[in-house]
Order: sequence, then C-alpha cells, then structure tokens
Amino acid sequence: MYDLIVLGAGPGGYEAAARAGRMGKKTALIEKQYLGGTCLNVGCIPTKVFLKSSKLITDCKNGLSYGVRVASAELDWAALIERKNKVVATLTQGVETLLKRSGVEIIRGEGKLINRNTIQVGSETLSAKNILIATGSRPATPPIPGLESAGVLDSNTIFELPALPSSLAIIGGGYIGLEFACFFAAAGTRVTVLEMLPQIAAGSDHDISSRLLAELRKQGIDIKTSCQVTSVERGSIHYRAEDGSAATLEAEYVLNATGRTPAVDGIGLEAAGVDFDQKGIKTTDRGRTSVPGIWACGDVTGRRLLAHAATREGLVAVANMFGGDQRIRYDAIPSVIYTHPEVASVGKTEEELKAQGVDYKKSLVPMALSGRWLLENASGGGIAKVLVGAKYGEILGVHVMGDLASEFIVAAAVMIENEMCVSDVAEIVFPHPTVSEAMKEALLRAAE
Amino acid sequence: MAIAVEMPKLGNTVEECILTSWKKQKGDSVAEGEILAEIETDKASFELPAPAAGTLLEVFFEPGALVPVFTNICVIGTPGENVESFRPAAIATAAAPPAPGPAPVSAAVRAAPPAAPAAAFPAAAPTVAAPVAAVTGTPAPPPQIFLSPRARLFAKQHGLATPARAGSGPGGRVLEADLIRLFRESPRLSSLARKRLEEGYEVRGSGSGINHLILARDLGEPPVRLSKIRETIARRMRESLASTAQYTLDSVADARGLVSLRNKIKAARQQGRDIADISINDMVMFAVVRALLLMPELNAEFIDGKLYRRSHINLGFACDTERGLLVPVVRNAESLSISELAAEVRALAGRANDGTLTADEMSGATFTVTNLGNLGITSFTPILNPPQVAILGVNTIEPRPIRRKSRIVYVDHIGLSLTCDHQIIDGAPGARFLKVLREQIENIESLADLKL
Repeated sequence: MYDLIVLGAGPGGYEAAARAGRMGKKTALIEKQYLGGTCLNVGCIPTKVFLKSSKLITDCKNGLSYGVRVASAELDWAALIERKNKVVATLTQGVETLLKRSGVEIIRGEGKLINRNTIQVGSETLSAKNILIATGSRPATPPIPGLESAGVLDSNTIFELPALPSSLAIIGGGYIGLEFACFFAAAGTRVTVLEMLPQIAAGSDHDISSRLLAELRKQGIDIKTSCQVTSVERGSIHYRAEDGSAATLEAEYVLNATGRTPAVDGIGLEAAGVDFDQKGIKTTDRGRTSVPGIWACGDVTGRRLLAHAATREGLVAVANMFGGDQRIRYDAIPSVIYTHPEVASVGKTEEELKAQGVDYKKSLVPMALSGRWLLENASGGGIAKVLVGAKYGEILGVHVMGDLASEFIVAAAVMIENEMCVSDVAEIVFPHPTVSEAMKEALLRAAE
Repeated sequence: MAIAVEMPKLGNTVEECILTSWKKQKGDSVAEGEILAEIETDKASFELPAPAAGTLLEVFFEPGALVPVFTNICVIGTPGENVESFRPAAIATAAAPPAPGPAPVSAAVRAAPPAAPAAAFPAAAPTVAAPVAAVTGTPAPPPQIFLSPRARLFAKQHGLATPARAGSGPGGRVLEADLIRLFRESPRLSSLARKRLEEGYEVRGSGSGINHLILARDLGEPPVRLSKIRETIARRMRESLASTAQYTLDSVADARGLVSLRNKIKAARQQGRDIADISINDMVMFAVVRALLLMPELNAEFIDGKLYRRSHINLGFACDTERGLLVPVVRNAESLSISELAAEVRALAGRANDGTLTADEMSGATFTVTNLGNLGITSFTPILNPPQVAILGVNTIEPRPIRRKSRIVYVDHIGLSLTCDHQIIDGAPGARFLKVLREQIENIESLADLKL
C-alpha cells in the first residue's frame, strides 16, 4: 500500500512525487513515455532551445545595429536538434536524480485506475491511499478534414523534422503557433499563420496582442486572422479568408497548433467514478477531485495549461493529502509567450475587467522608457500595461511586451498575490538599469 | 447675494437628520423649488427644495452625514461669492471624508468592530503588516488599564494604542510580553484588505494568502447600511418584545357586509354618483373606531407603569412604502364619518408613499391597524407599538364553511389577529373586543350610514 501513487511524470506529477517522497511518504510515480512530460521533452524546454537559436540568428543579422559585423548566420538543423536533445537529456536526468534522491519509486508503463485506490500497470496492481492524476494534455485535433495526412505535424512531431522546411503553414495563432512561427521565420522558413479569431494570442490583453501582431508581421511572418481552415492535405491548406472567399495556401509542411486537450481518456476515470469531461477533471482549489483520495493537477484539470500552474497544483494536493490546508490562488499565476518580443502577463486583462464590470484605471507606457530595454533593442517596439482598481489602486493586471519581461513578471505576481496597491509599489526599489523599470513606470502612472 | 440652506426641523422631536444624497452637485445651477437633496429622519425621508434660484456654490456635508437641524448644509448664490462665512464650524470635522474610528458621521463610515480574538489593540500602525486591531477602531479603552514602562515603550515603537483589556501582570498590568504576544499573533492584512476593512467589511475565517495573509477575498460582504427608518423599526420592535407581555388572538368575522358595501360603492361610483371610494380596509378601520368607543380600555397607553385611557382615538395604520414601514396617524378618528376617514387615510397614505409625511403625522397613535390581507395572509402576529396596549392585524377575506341546518354553506370571512399587552388587557377583554369588533364589521352597512 503506497501513501501516494502519481500518474504522469510531467512538471505537475514529478514535483508532487518528489515532495511526497521527501516528506517520507511511500510514493510511486508511473510514467508511460518520458520523465519531465510534455514540458521537458516536447514543450517549454525544446521550444526555448529553438528560440534561443533563432534569436541569435536575428541578432547576428542585425549585428551592425549594435556595431557588430557578422558575415553570415544560418541555422544548422542537425546541430540544433543535437543541442536540444542534450538540454532535454540533462534536465530529464535531473528529474530522475531528484526523484531517486527523494525516495520515489519510478514505474515505467501505462497506469490505469481500477477503483478509487487501485491502479493497474501492465500485469501489476498497485494500491495507494492517495492517487494524484497528472496525465497532462495532448495536441488538440479539431475536426478539420485531412489533419492526419502526411506532412501535417503537431507540436510533438515537429521536433522530428529531418531538416528546416522551406515553408510552413501554422494553423492557430495561439502561443504555441506563434512561438514556432517566430523560430521558423527567423531561421529562414517562409511562415504563414492562420488564426480563426480576429486577434492572435487568445486570452492576452488586446493592447498587447494587437501590438504583438504588428511586431510579428514586421518580421515577415504572414499572419492571417479571422480565417477558418476548411481542409488540409499534404502541401496545402484550404481556408475561408476574412472576406469569406475560399483560398488555398501552399506549404511544405503544415503545423496543427490549435491548442491542447486534457488527457482524460484511457486512464480509468470512469471506473474510479471521477467527475470529468473532455475539458478536464473537475478539481477544487485544494486539488481534490469528486472522489476522496483521488487528486488531480496540471493540464488534465483543464484549468490553466501551464507547467508552473501544474507544479503548484501538485504541491498543494500533496500538502492537503498529508494533513495540510493549502489553496491554489489562480489570480496571480503569470504566463509568458516566448516570441520575439516576448509577452509576459499576470492577472486580469482589460477585457476580463470590462466583462466583470470592475471599475479600473489603466496605464500604458512604451518599453523605451527603460534605458536597458532601449540599448538591448535596436529595433522593434514594446509596451508595459498596468490595470489597477479605480478606488484603491490595487494591482489587477500587468502585461508586458518586451524581451526579458518573462524574468521580472514574477515581481508583479508577488504584488498581485499580496494584494498590494500602487501606493505600496512606490516604496519598492527597482534595480537600474533594467527592463523592469518600464513596468515600474507603468505601475506608478496607473495611480495618477 | 449668497444664502445658506439649513437642515430643516421636520417635526417637534427631530433634532438631527441624515443627509441621504445630494440631487445637485457643487457648481450646478438650481431653480427655486428644485430638489437639492434627500434627507431622512428616523421616521421618514424627505426631499429638500431650493429656497431660491442660483448656483450651488458649496456643500458642507457628504452623503451619509448626520446633521443637526438648523445647520447650514449648502450655499446657493452667484459664482465667485465667498461661502466661508456660512461654513458650520463646530461640526466641520464630522463631515470629513470617511476615516477609521468612531467618528460621529454615520454607520457607513464607522469602522468595523474587532473581528479577530487577538484584536485587543486599537492602534494605527501604518504598514501592511498592521494587526487587524490597528484598523478596526475599537472604542476608547477604560482608563484603569495600566502598562508597564517597557510595554509602554513597545506600544509606542509599534504604533499601538493602549490595549482595551487587562494584561497578565500584577493587578492586570499590561506587560511587554502581553503586547509582543498579541502583536505577533495578530492576523496580517493585505494592503487592499486593510482598505476594505475601513469600509466596514469584516474578517471572516483565516487568511488564505501567503503566511496566512488576510486577502480581500477573506473578507465577507460589507454590512448593509441601515436606513434611519430601519434602525428605528429594529429598536422599537426589540423594545416592544422586551417591555410588554404580548399575546395574539385570532378570529374571523362574517365579511358579507364588507363585500356587499364595497360592491354597492363601486356600482354607485360607476353610475357617476358622488360617493367616496371607501375600501374594505377603511371599513375595518371605521369598525375599529366604533369598537374602541364601545371598549375604551383598548384605546390606552401604558407609560412607566401608569395607564392613560385616551379620550380621543388616534388611529395609526401601517403603510408598506419604498422607504420602509411607516405608520401615519388619523387623529380624532372618532369624530370622522366613514367617508371622511377614508379620505384622511387616502391622503396620509399618499404622503407616506411620496415621503412627504411630517414627523407629527406619524406620532401620537393610540391604537394601530395593520393589514396583510391583500398579500393573502390568513393570520399573523402583529407586534405592539408601545405604549399602545393593542394592535389589530387584518387578514385576507376567504370563504369558510358554515353549518346552516343540515347544509354546509360557504361564507366570506375576514381574518382578525389582535395582539394585546397582557400587562393591561387580559385574554377575556381582548376576546370581548374582537367580539364587539366582529359585530361592528358584520353590521358595517348600517354603521356606515351611506346614502347609496
């Protein structure tokens, strides 16, 4: 009898298992594919390896703006894949070491719930006082005819490309599609993005997404909004353009980046009586499912499909299953789009505040207010936007488009987490010269 | 020439009124008679008209302020004129923007009572990490609390006021250790939560933030500010139940006379005849007056152990208005014909709905009638309005089975619920009053003496 069996070794599952192990609990972690899950193997980490390289190419090409003459810069696909594999291997090895040091038993195989405290892995049956479901998500497959054709990739299989494609058509202008678009365009691929909605980066504040759209188009990425893909085949995409006309786009490869679906099927949720639908397993803010003893975290809950949200949810569940009383506060979870320029956000967007009828004030400042940002960016634009409560100036949302924003958005998350008001922020010292000073300026101006 | 507008005196006993809201803003031009503000006494709310035309140059009070009568509340004049000579000096601070502490302004700005058990320190620490007590404005401590010198120093350094309860030292002396313990154990508030507390929110449960930081979400809802009328009703109802020995008797009266008379009045009016529009409630009130004339012991007031039988019948009747329950009073009802009574009731009820009743029109009742019949109520327990000794609840009219020889027939009856104060009216006299009243109601057609 285990104290805890975790199903899935992504950033939700492995962190939770390691925590439970270090608490001295008898813990097993079942993983069918790879330690580190999507994030480490085909998600956050490999894409950031790619984007580091494309940023380097861009910087080389713009070298003269910085007073550096670079003869030529081009992507070496094989070398990039090798580096990616090396980074991933280092990190997954780190996960394995962490789990072993924490006393977690790693079980390779596909786990399936038999009842509320039993899991079957192959021919083995394991029982546990607590089960944490962290099976994550998989690329969504919308009902578009031809998606299964050869030459149509998703965010997993794109890493298996033999060489840099000459052209790529991306279905979906969300963060996955945009990050790949940014990489491939900088690497020299002709990239087209087809987005169904009028804006890209769904869920982002419109002041940010509209500016991001302009920046990406300036980089030569062809982004078509308000267009509906009707069918796909090898080498081409058929779609209805914004004006309603039927159109066809030729591309060597097609990338389906239409989002992610919680991995709820085939893991025995029905047998255990767990309440779920295709949008995910229903959980409380303490990580509980509808069945006592069964917990869930991460993408499989369908709440916030973010690695760091999964980790927090997993740790909260572990704390609660062993006598703690913790809650996840979803209103201060930051999110980042690693395009160039990158977008980092935390809290509410202006559209959400309007929909909720919140009385707010806002400020928008150009990133060029920061000397550091200016010297780091010889071209391009950026903006910091802050939303505060009209009456008390409590910080409701912070949205920054500009490189390095991902590294300091956590400061805004801390402010929101602690319900600070802009009057409090005035007492906080920001280092100079840093890009974060633009965010500070936006915060202070929001109070005026 | 600028003129000041005073808070009017809206009744003999009214000494202060709440300025509920401004209908005009500073800088607005106003015509004579235009409504400047809405004000409220403990009995009703009123609209305050402009005494002259001009520009509203200055307002001296925020909405919600409790203003003594005859105090200047605003100035009307020509832009540019000096208004400072009109500013009410003595109470200027009371009208200042909401501040923590028991300022004599209004319930809306009064700080919340301490919610946490550790909230013994009415202090004003300015940081986010201030204990809850720091912003809850507990009342001034009793003077017999003594602090040790070290405790006094700690309190000064940490921005704490003198604690409200005794400490663990000899003779209840507050020691430094007491203050340190309470300071450490006090819940911490987020910046936003602290501001919300000042608005009257209260802490409910423990803090859900990092290190148990109390977040805005951990506060419940802010208290609903009671209108002056509601506060008065609440107090009166409590006092009524606490100071009397109430009991209620239920009965029914044959309502065929009421229904018949009502139908005849309607028919006569349809024919264009000059007949007052008398409702069934008017008829019941008229019957009550007749019954009280026959049994005057119920038309009385019991004040400080002394019973006063009243020679005039001042009949109060409950009105459900947007502003709350109001009870206008028909004075000397025994001298009125049923038509006069109906007209008086109609006029008073209209003013109750408009909010234009004066305080004097709502005082001095010697007996009260309250009617829930139109809401389908079949019996209820009216609460006495002391010092009155009885109140009649009037219920709906519905058919009831009556045995007539070997047959059961259905006859319309009206329900009557009489609450009496047993201190003065025993059960049998109360029941006898209902019997007399039933007879009046059943005989209403001849009592009304209308030429139909």
